[in-house]
Amino acid sequence: MQRRSSCTSKAALLLALCTVVAWLAGAEAEPVKIAVLTDMSGPYAGITATNVEAAKMAIDDFGGKLLGEPIEYIHRDHQCKPDVANQKSKELYEKEKVDVIFDVPNSAAGLAVSNQAKLHKKLFFSIGSGTTRHSGPDCNRYTFDWAYNDYMLATAVGLWAADNLGKKWFTITADYAWGHDLLKHFSATKKKKGGKLLGNEMVALGASDFSPYILKAMQANPEALVLLNAGKDGINATKQAAEFGLKKKAKIVHALLFIDDCKAAGPEVFADDYVTGAWYWKSDNPGSKEFVEKWQKKFNRPPNWMNAATYSAVTQYLKAVERAGSKDAPAVIKALEGHKFSDLLANPGYIRPEDHMQVGKAYILRAKRPEEIKEPWDYFEIVGSIPPEEAYQDPKDTGCKMDDF
Amino acid sequence: MTAQFVLMQLFNGLILGSLYVLLALGLSIIFGMLGIINFAHGAFFMLGAYVAYTITTYLVPNFWIALALVPVLMAVFGAACEMLFLRRLYTLSPLYIMLFTFGLMLALQDVVRIIFGSMGVPFPTPDSLSGAVNLGFMYYPKYRLFLIIVTVAISVGVWMFLSKTRLGALIRAGTDNPRMVDALGINISRIITLVVGLGTGLAGVAGVLAAPIQNVRPLMGMDFLIDCFVVVVIGGMGSIGGSILGGLIVGEVIALGVMVWPPMANTLIYFFMAVFLLIRPRGLFGREAFHD
Repeated sequence: MQRRSSCTSKAALLLALCTVVAWLAGAEAEPVKIAVLTDMSGPYAGITATNVEAAKMAIDDFGGKLLGEPIEYIHRDHQCKPDVANQKSKELYEKEKVDVIFDVPNSAAGLAVSNQAKLHKKLFFSIGSGTTRHSGPDCNRYTFDWAYNDYMLATAVGLWAADNLGKKWFTITADYAWGHDLLKHFSATKKKKGGKLLGNEMVALGASDFSPYILKAMQANPEALVLLNAGKDGINATKQAAEFGLKKKAKIVHALLFIDDCKAAGPEVFADDYVTGAWYWKSDNPGSKEFVEKWQKKFNRPPNWMNAATYSAVTQYLKAVERAGSKDAPAVIKALEGHKFSDLLANPGYIRPEDHMQVGKAYILRAKRPEEIKEPWDYFEIVGSIPPEEAYQDPKDTGCKMDDF
Repeated sequence: MTAQFVLMQLFNGLILGSLYVLLALGLSIIFGMLGIINFAHGAFFMLGAYVAYTITTYLVPNFWIALALVPVLMAVFGAACEMLFLRRLYTLSPLYIMLFTFGLMLALQDVVRIIFGSMGVPFPTPDSLSGAVNLGFMYYPKYRLFLIIVTVAISVGVWMFLSKTRLGALIRAGTDNPRMVDALGINISRIITLVVGLGTGLAGVAGVLAAPIQNVRPLMGMDFLIDCFVVVVIGGMGSIGGSILGGLIVGEVIALGVMVWPPMANTLIYFFMAVFLLIRPRGLFGREAFHD
């Protein structure tokens, strides 16, 4: 036993020595390696699979080279499963030796990767997952939360609805962690604005018929029906609300709605509904038009806001490495914390050092009626915006205690 | 909770039940003939909706033509599946057919995903059926009323076909004892093809009818299929009357569950099924023979 332990300690010493030598010899010459881990075959694939292309485009537009070396890029599919995300992110950090991982939709998956980032002392930019825990109780020095979170989705459209649509609301909530989280933030906004929640229905994920819930909502006679669900649940609920004539009496407010949903369901389904968005492809932020043009040329359709957020996060990471003059994690993190920038996504954008939340204006989008749509995919109109101080929780209240390196 | 609201919910349960009835009918007659649960049934349902979408978007923008064409096309598709694939598996253990239909389901879903994308496609309510009518005690969407009428018509039609026609009698005989029917000089394999075609056609009709009120997407059949298994189990495997009654019961249980305890509404049917099976293991009208 004695002998073996002395052996391992010698081996460890040798390894440490090797690492130091390798670091001295080649740290500067090692290329930056970027990974996108996203849902390419699961439930969100329709929205997020193209983030892989957005990251590639960001690297190309940056010039493809950083610190004198070509930027390396790989992507992996986690099928929206937390266990797969955990395993793949571990592999990416350990075997593939990537410096940073982007995206990871699904909050449980995102939190698993955030934990791996902390363990491996490498960076992670959370884009697709909306949980406020990234910039709240589960925040860490290596994780940055980009473009949006659940608080912002519920709060921005809630504030706007209270001022513009009326204060009597009825909510239909997807019955799992995400929906509950949204309901919590939405209720807080309602309280702040003196609104009234006439009722709430918890609906199991993937319910095939929303009409009983719609009827209950109609009985309550709200001014706005708030749908705290997404994807096909959102489409089904809206289709059925229109069918029962609810849209003649009340407006519908969504927690999450993409141009892809409008394309899938047809614009008449969502006509005159409202939703929060971090970006819209008609935005006039710097670089936005060029990005959209390039994307249109390549895919014959405009990007969704997840694509724009991915492009922005990758670009801001590359710029931070350039400012830091090294891909060394602590140096890059310091270059990111408190950084102010203007790009296609956020004009201006700010990375809060307290909780690593990237904040910017939250846009309020109104879905156009079919006759208003003059251009393919132009499903929304920006009707307002909420400043970042109101759209995001005060960093003092998020419950984040930022750790050291 | 007003009496009017309860009445509305009961009505809603009827509509939801109607879709279940249409799907369960097909599932049930195929089960009766082959003795297997057809896992691809949900995918046939989805395919029906997509074929209707293709017809109305690219060929003729008319819902009624789609409603008439889709069942025929789907029936041909189902019959072709039987003749090309299923037929080769009859001599093996029923497990193989079940596995085959499961694989077919996955394959169909992915083919549709590749062609139309995973996000789904739009399908508006036909103009002549959009809007609501006053029923005296409430306003109700026209389209949903239409759905009930079609379901009643189809259910009666299938029942008449099976109980009053010669072909129906042969199908029933084949269900009871295929070898005997064969020995009497009747081509049983042709009857099996017909039954699979009929069942698939029914799934196709259900798909077209569900399209305007559901999100048409590759996985739309999955949600319905599981509920339909419950319908068929409660109604009794292989029974037409059982599918109809079972479908309506499940629809009502969900609709009433929403009034009493919304988070449990979808789970309630499984609970109901479990209790039901404890009391009556073969379901409402299930025949003893299937459980030997």
